[in-house]
Amino acid sequence: MKRTNDFVVGLTIVLGTLTIIGTTLWVKQTDLRNKHDRITARFRDVGSVRVGAAVVLRGVEAGRVQRIELGRDGWVEVTMALDQNVPLPTNPVVLLNESSLFGEWQATITDESAMPRDEAVSRQIADARKDAGELLPGATLPDIAQLTAVAGRIAGDVASVASRVEVAFDDQAARELRGSIKNFATLSAALAQTVRVQSGNLDKLSADMRLGMNRLAGSAETVQRVAERIDSSTATGEVRRIVSDVAIAAAQLKEASEEVRTMSKQLGRSQGRLESLLSSTGSVMDKINAGQGSVGLMVNDPRLYRNSDSLVTELRSLVQDFKANPKKYVNVRVF
Amino acid sequence: MIAAIGRTFREGVEEVGRAGGFVAESAGASRDLRTWLPRVTMHARMLGVDSLPIALFIALFTGIVLALLASYSITGAVPLYFVGTLVEKTVTMELAPVLTGLALAGRVGANIAAELGTMRVTEQIDALETLSYDPYAYLVVPRVIAGTVMFPIVVGLAMVVGVTAGWVASVLLLDLSSPDFVKGLRLFFTAFDIRYGLVKSASFGAAVTLLGCMTGMRAEGGAEGVGQAATRAVVYSAITILVLDAFWATVWLLGKSR
Repeated sequence: MKRTNDFVVGLTIVLGTLTIIGTTLWVKQTDLRNKHDRITARFRDVGSVRVGAAVVLRGVEAGRVQRIELGRDGWVEVTMALDQNVPLPTNPVVLLNESSLFGEWQATITDESAMPRDEAVSRQIADARKDAGELLPGATLPDIAQLTAVAGRIAGDVASVASRVEVAFDDQAARELRGSIKNFATLSAALAQTVRVQSGNLDKLSADMRLGMNRLAGSAETVQRVAERIDSSTATGEVRRIVSDVAIAAAQLKEASEEVRTMSKQLGRSQGRLESLLSSTGSVMDKINAGQGSVGLMVNDPRLYRNSDSLVTELRSLVQDFKANPKKYVNVRVF
Repeated sequence: MIAAIGRTFREGVEEVGRAGGFVAESAGASRDLRTWLPRVTMHARMLGVDSLPIALFIALFTGIVLALLASYSITGAVPLYFVGTLVEKTVTMELAPVLTGLALAGRVGANIAAELGTMRVTEQIDALETLSYDPYAYLVVPRVIAGTVMFPIVVGLAMVVGVTAGWVASVLLLDLSSPDFVKGLRLFFTAFDIRYGLVKSASFGAAVTLLGCMTGMRAEGGAEGVGQAATRAVVYSAITILVLDAFWATVWLLGKSR
């Protein structure tokens, strides 16, 4: 009986102990066979990550956090056991983040290029990369409490703005807003009309532009042909001859311009004289018009005209008389 | 009335003093290995192994009910895999030790008190003393050792059965997959959960057996006295288990959460 008791009690103790230990190891996912790859990352702070937390790679659970320990220089080193032969990203970094709203944290292995665009996270990674050796750089994302605090602050700001708007937005403001909206509607209608018109213009313009482009294309073809000709001319030496002729023509043109310049100087002088002459003539004509001098008197005094006319008449009759009777007036004597 | 208060206080102090003296005598008797060691396995079988069916039966139904209760309580945004977390935490840290302790307090405590009470009223204990046997070494120490060792074993198996029952109930009765339950189970599991439950259950085992032995050895007045001793053993054990439960929570959990 005593031996039976010893056996039964011993068996119960052994089985009970093994069951409890085995169950604990299974729940904790303890790696007894050491068939995992291990990587270690370092962080300034690991948030609420605990031993046993999931390690996620591309959204798939690929291991567990195996050890968390304080390192040198204020670092926290987290060792993770990954399933064997899990390929890591090219430039791996480890991010610690909450996996749900209930305080669960996980370690996410990702490529640095796929990190969230956050300045604080980038700073943490850059800091952890310095002199890290074989350790992976790590960063801790803000937890839900921090995000909630920020959201609360934003909500407070929004409430403040809303209260200010409420104060500012009275009946008068509403009427003005209504008027503004009406004006805006009118403006929109006018704008739509303008857009319609301009759209037609644009259509026409685009047609013109298309035509112009076609012409430009034609011109380009012409230019191309000219260029081809120039190429051929260059090849036969015509251009050189043309350039030579142009040089000669330029020299002749220069001489011609010198002559023109001389002529223009002479013309300038002639013009001065002519102006002086005209001035003198004007002065004489003024005097004549004023009745000064003999010519003035002749021009302006009708009596003189009549006397002159009478004189001419008398002269004409005198001449006729002279012709008829020359001896009456000329008495030639010889000796 | 004042005299009654004074008498009650004096009796309370005397009771504490006697209990302290009993514990001190038992501790002193533990040095007598040759007397108590051969009897340990016998008591271990009676207190522990023979208590397994009732303990595992309680754990089985506790796990099932707990899973259903957790699924009923978890609504809205809380994911259902927290059923696993809840079952694991409550079974390992609280329900398995306390419910098993209370059940064994009734079974073991009453058994010990009745047995020793009968020996007391039939003067068998006096006969042991006459034969130069230390009754503490012969009767108390092997029972206390057996209770302290076997309670954690029984409670540990009850933990496993309770969690397994909750798992099976979740898969069969709830819209919860096995991987989800295991995810919740592992989510906040630490070895401390097991350690806390086992240490607590060891203290329960020591308390239940000590109180059973103490009330039994102080029985007097025949069969009626034996019955009263058994009743007192169960009541004192149950109260002590709850007090110790609060004690460990205050000392260990409170300190850990800080």
